[in-house]
Parts: sequence; C-alpha cells; structure tokens
Amino acid sequence: MALYDNKYWLLSHIRNSFISTDDTGMCELVMVGENLPDSLVDALDKYPDTDDSQEEDDEIEHESYDIQLDSDFNVRKFGSNMSSWMEKMDQKRKRAGRSKNIKWESNAEKMSDEDRMKMFAKQEIPKEQPAFKSLLSEQIQNCIRMPKNPFMEYSKFDGSAQVGVPVRKYKIFLTMLPENQKNYPMLVVCVATAKIQELIGLICYKCSIVYGDFPLQPVSSYGLYITEEDGEVDRDFPCLDAKECVAKFGFTCLGLVEHKNNKIVTFENSEQLVMRNLEETLSSSEQASAALDESKQLIVDMELMKGHEIAMIAPLYQSYRAFIITKMRSKVEIHLGISGEKLEIDPVHQKNAKFVLSRQKPVSHHMDCIGSCIITDTKSSKTTFRIDYVSVPGNKEIVGSNSLPSNVSMKHYDFEADNATAEEIVQKMNIILDIRSSTSRKEFIATLEKKKEKKGFV
Amino acid sequence: MSGEAGAIGSDQIIFATGGYDHTIKLWQTHTGNCQKTLQHAESQVNMLEITPDRRYLAAASYQHIRMFDLTTTNQNHDFNYEGVPKNVTAVGFEKNTKWMYSGGEDGKVRIWDLRETTNNPHHYEVFAPVTCVQLHPNQSEVFIGDQNGTIHMWDMKTDNADQYIPDLDNMIIDLAINPDGTHLAAVNSKGRCFIWSISGGCKSEERTTILPKNKFEAHPRQALKCKFSPDSNYLVTTSSDQTAKIWDAKNNFKLIKELKHNNKRWVWDAAFSSDSQYLFTGSSDNIARLWNVKDGTIEREYVGHQKAITTIAFRDVFVPA
Repeated sequence: MALYDNKYWLLSHIRNSFISTDDTGMCELVMVGENLPDSLVDALDKYPDTDDSQEEDDEIEHESYDIQLDSDFNVRKFGSNMSSWMEKMDQKRKRAGRSKNIKWESNAEKMSDEDRMKMFAKQEIPKEQPAFKSLLSEQIQNCIRMPKNPFMEYSKFDGSAQVGVPVRKYKIFLTMLPENQKNYPMLVVCVATAKIQELIGLICYKCSIVYGDFPLQPVSSYGLYITEEDGEVDRDFPCLDAKECVAKFGFTCLGLVEHKNNKIVTFENSEQLVMRNLEETLSSSEQASAALDESKQLIVDMELMKGHEIAMIAPLYQSYRAFIITKMRSKVEIHLGISGEKLEIDPVHQKNAKFVLSRQKPVSHHMDCIGSCIITDTKSSKTTFRIDYVSVPGNKEIVGSNSLPSNVSMKHYDFEADNATAEEIVQKMNIILDIRSSTSRKEFIATLEKKKEKKGFV
Repeated sequence: MSGEAGAIGSDQIIFATGGYDHTIKLWQTHTGNCQKTLQHAESQVNMLEITPDRRYLAAASYQHIRMFDLTTTNQNHDFNYEGVPKNVTAVGFEKNTKWMYSGGEDGKVRIWDLRETTNNPHHYEVFAPVTCVQLHPNQSEVFIGDQNGTIHMWDMKTDNADQYIPDLDNMIIDLAINPDGTHLAAVNSKGRCFIWSISGGCKSEERTTILPKNKFEAHPRQALKCKFSPDSNYLVTTSSDQTAKIWDAKNNFKLIKELKHNNKRWVWDAAFSSDSQYLFTGSSDNIARLWNVKDGTIEREYVGHQKAITTIAFRDVFVPA
C-alpha cells in the first residue's frame, strides 16, 4: 500500500494498533504521555500534503489520527466486555460440544402396528424378590451411633459446581495437620457472600471428609492468615476478621491456623471477658479457686494495662470545657487546654462588657509552674477543683531549675466542671505532673508547703 | 419406580437430589456427605430418575431431558433430549432401559427410543398439561395424570386409551402403581388420595381395567407425591402441609405414621429403601432427610443445596441375606 513506505505513518499506526486492541489498557497507559520527539519526526518522511505545521504539531500531540484519549475509555470497556462474553460463549460451546443432542422428530411417520406390538408387548410382572437385604439399611444400622458431622451446616457454602453464583477460589494450607499432609494446599471454592467464619467452617467440613481421622477444634479456634504460595504463613498481619465477607479480600492463598491461646486480644472485648469469667466463677463455688486466682490475675493485669494506657495518652493535648471561678465569684466559661508542656486557659464568649471585672484573659502556664491539681468539692452534678501554680514577677522562667527563686508568688485557680470531666482533668494533670520531673516537683511541693505554713491555711 | 434388583457390577447406592439451585447432588447415604455435584445450569430440575441399569441419571427440566453418566467424573450431561416445548414434568424408563417415556406441559407423552432401533416416534396427546406419568409393571401400559383432573390409561400396544375422573376439576398431582401391578394410587391438589385395584394387567389377552377401591383425605392441603413401597405394604404421600404420611396398603390404607419436622416446609418427594424400612424425603428447606419408617425418627440429614429440593431419586443395592 502506498502508505507503508512512510515510516512515520507506520510507527504511528503500530502505536495506535497497540492502544486500540489492548483490552487491558496497559499500552495506552505506557504510551499516552510519549510524544514522538521532534527530531524523530524531522528525520522521518512526512506527508507531502501536510503543509500546515500547526496541524502536524496537533497530530504529533495526539499521536494518532483518529483515537482520542477520552474515547479510549469506551473502547477499552467494550473490549473487556467482549472478551468475557466470548469466554462465556466458548465455555457454553465446549459444554454443549461434549454432550450428544437428540431431537424429537414430530413430523416423522407414526409407528407401525407391528413395531408397536413388538416394542410394547405385555411383560410378566416379576415375583417378589427372594430374601435380599437392603445395603442402605445395613449401612445405616452399622453407623447408628455415628455422630453428626459438626461442620455439616457449612457445606452449603461450597461454591464448586455452582452456576451463576459468584464464588471465590482459595488454596488453603492446613497448618495444623501432620508434616506430610500440610504441605499440599486444599482447593476450596466458597460462595462470595459467605463470611470468613463460614469459610473456616467449610474448610473444616472438607477437612473432616478428606482427613477423617484428624480431630478438629470448633470453628472459633481457627483463624485464616495470608499465606505465600509455598505455604509460609505471613505472621506480620493479623488473621482475617471472622465477621468480614470473603468477597472483600482478594487473596488466593490462605493458611488455616489454630489459635494457641484463647485470650482474645482486643481492648473492647477483653474487659467483658474478664467480668464474665468473674461472674461465672463467683456463682460456681467449689471448683472455682484456681479459676478465681487466674481471673484475679487477669483483673490485675487489666488494671495495669488500663493504667499504662491512660498514662501514655496523658501528655497528649486535650481541651476541656469548664468554668473558671473568678475573684468576683462569678463563673466564666473557658476552654482548659492541658498538654504535657503547658496549661492554657482560653475564655469563651467574652462579649458582655458589663462584667468587665470578671473578664478572663487568655493565659498560658508552663507545666513546671504548676504545683498541684486537687479536687476541692464534689456536688451531685458539679465538681470544683483547684490548680496551684507559681508566677514569677517579670515573667522569668523557672523552667528546669531545681529550686524556686524567693520572690515567687503562690496563686491558684479554681475551676468547676461536671463530675466526669473534673475527674479526668485532675487525673490527667496529676499524671503529667508525676511524669515531668519528680525531684523538682518534690522540692516544689516542699516549698509550697513551707509557704503555706508561713501563710497559714487558706 | 420400584427398587429393582441391582444390575451386574453395580455396588453403589445412588441417591440424587435436585431442585432450584441449578445443581444435582449425589450423596453418600450413610455419612450424609455430598459425593458429587452435577451442573444443571439452564433451569430448575422438575424430576430425577435413575435408569434401571444404574448407568444414567435423567433430569427432566424446561424443554430438555438431560442424561448424566453416573460412571464418569464428568460434571455435565452426556445426552440432551430436546424438541419438547415447555416443561417436562415426568420421566421414566422401561425396565431394561430400552426406551424412555416423558410427559410435559404441552400435553404430550412421548416415548424416546434409547436404543435407536426405530425412527418413528410414539406419543400420546392428552390436551392438557401432563403432571405425572407412571408405567405399569407389564411395560405395556402407561397411566397419565393431567391438570384437568383426568387419569388416562394408555395402552401403547394398541394405542387405545381410557379416561377416569376421580375428582372433577382438581388437578391430579401424582400417580403411583405398586410393584405387583395390583393397585393404582392418585393424589390431587386438594390433598385427596384415590385408590383403584388393577386387574388383567398381567395377562396379554385380557384387557387391563381399574376399579375404584378407596378414597380418603390424605392431607388438608395440596399433595405433592405418592409412592408405593417395594414390598407393596405401604403407600407414602407427601404434601405442602409439611408432612409425609405412611399408609397401610394392605389394611385399608389406615394411617401408620406421620413424618413431621419443624420448618421442613413443603415435602416435595419421597423414596423408599428396598426393604421398605427407610424413607428419603426432599423439602423446600433445602435439606433431604432419611427417616426410619417404624420409629418415625430422622436418621440422616443431607445438607448442601442452596435452594429448595423438589425431586429425589434413589436406587438401593441388594445384598444377600
């Protein structure tokens, strides 16, 4: 053809063909940004017709004569639909091809009388069978004490031979089996609507049929972990959540692992587990001693863990809404911001000019200036607490120093908040103060005490 | 179909179930495990029947009868009989597997020559959708039930037919003939059961006639299946009232046992073991069960279908006593 001697055209044509026939869209992704460099275009023959350089530039940018970037998406979608449709038709054809079709001939002549007589002659009815036993009865009677397979209910999640139902195929490595059996994965096909727990049940069901001798634990004792193709279980990731739908995950290779310890390691549930255990042991008196010790230990551990958790998050900044009680005995709403380094008091809604004297300025104190934080009064709905601090005239820093300068003045803030908030604030403050530096705080407290004694009780 | 003697070389019990989930399952009867699942993609399965030579399983469905070779591991069918408009509701076999009969919603009962000895088809038209077809043990006559409530007795040799209407305008749902060829049972959409005694069927000169014998209310609602036990002692009827009932065929059809299970829903089909001691049932609750006839207790459950089981097929194996 006349065009085939034009190298530029050929190159463009090849590129276009790749982009348009590739159903996966990879070619397009790779080539879309590539503009044929000008040098190459110059070196190759151009069409003698294209005088207008502007047009050529456009053509080079688009890199093709008729395929635009936007329409490429549609082409690709159609392409992928086509290929899957073709696949389905191929499969149907293969299935049909293996079976023989016999069609009813409705137009053929009726059967002749002789043929009928021969084909449908009356036959003798067989007499009663001699004494034979039914194999079914024998088998049932032999297995009369056979317990029901506990995983039977999971057999309905088997997706093999299901038509028209979305399924997921997995290679499952059964890590709890003996050495020689666990190296080969078991192929499991599961309906896509099943949960992970149900998939585990299906795996156990299949396992019970194939490896009948192996004693299986209940479904809750197993977890599914991401596994390599060679059977190595990836322990870095936790096991797949039992309540999630299998369709969510794209893994093809999983390992079934028995949970060794039966303690569930989630914060929300373990407390309840402990409490339930405790209740159970309290109600059953005699056998309880060992269990009780264990649960006591569990409670202690839980408390420790809780304590650690709170201590760890204490230095993080948190803002509370409370009321500061001013010198005029009025309450002003503030935001109390507490972090490991600072204490901040920010007033809220300072519009009212009437109460000028009770206006609260925004203040910030370094945590080293704070001496203590204690609850002073607890009412049914409100709690008042006090924060003692020192302020140095001239705003000199006392941070980090081990002893206080003599000209510090002792001050305090009184706050009011609802019971829960106040408790939390006080607890947080005290943890922070404890953490910060125990030696200087001790001195601080000692100095405070002395000052208090000098002043007399307030 | 009565449980006939196992063919030579057959040593396996065959128990198959099918229904709406587009699969046919073959079960290991004593454990309850599913041995094999066959694909039946295009439509639901209306009826399953095992050939007397135990080689094939026939599935009657919408416009097709598909035959699955039970001796292979193939999940798909090997033969496909087509050319039938609408649903094929009944299928059965001559005792030597020479030919197959089918009945369908198009009102025709067709005889398919399985050995392909003749090209001329034989059929009978009843002009109403056929619900059930049963072959007399003499292999010469066929009883047909239709939706109008008529039972036709078609003599295939002479091509004559008689009609009987036990209960006008109430659809005949199922027919059964006992292995002796002495009794015919029918159940209809009102749950009523009718019994006739058959005479003359065994002798070639005499014409086969049927005489009404019993009539009773088997179920308060629509009955779905009736079958005689292989020893002709029992008749089982199943119903949409969630039960299967066993009647004494030798003693005026008194009720012997009611097999009931909570949540069983409609009991679509039933099959006796060859010694009539056990009964299989298939239900809309997707589960097939094995019952002990004497005790009325459930021995096994066959779980695995995703949708209702509407048909079961069973072939027992005889072992010397």
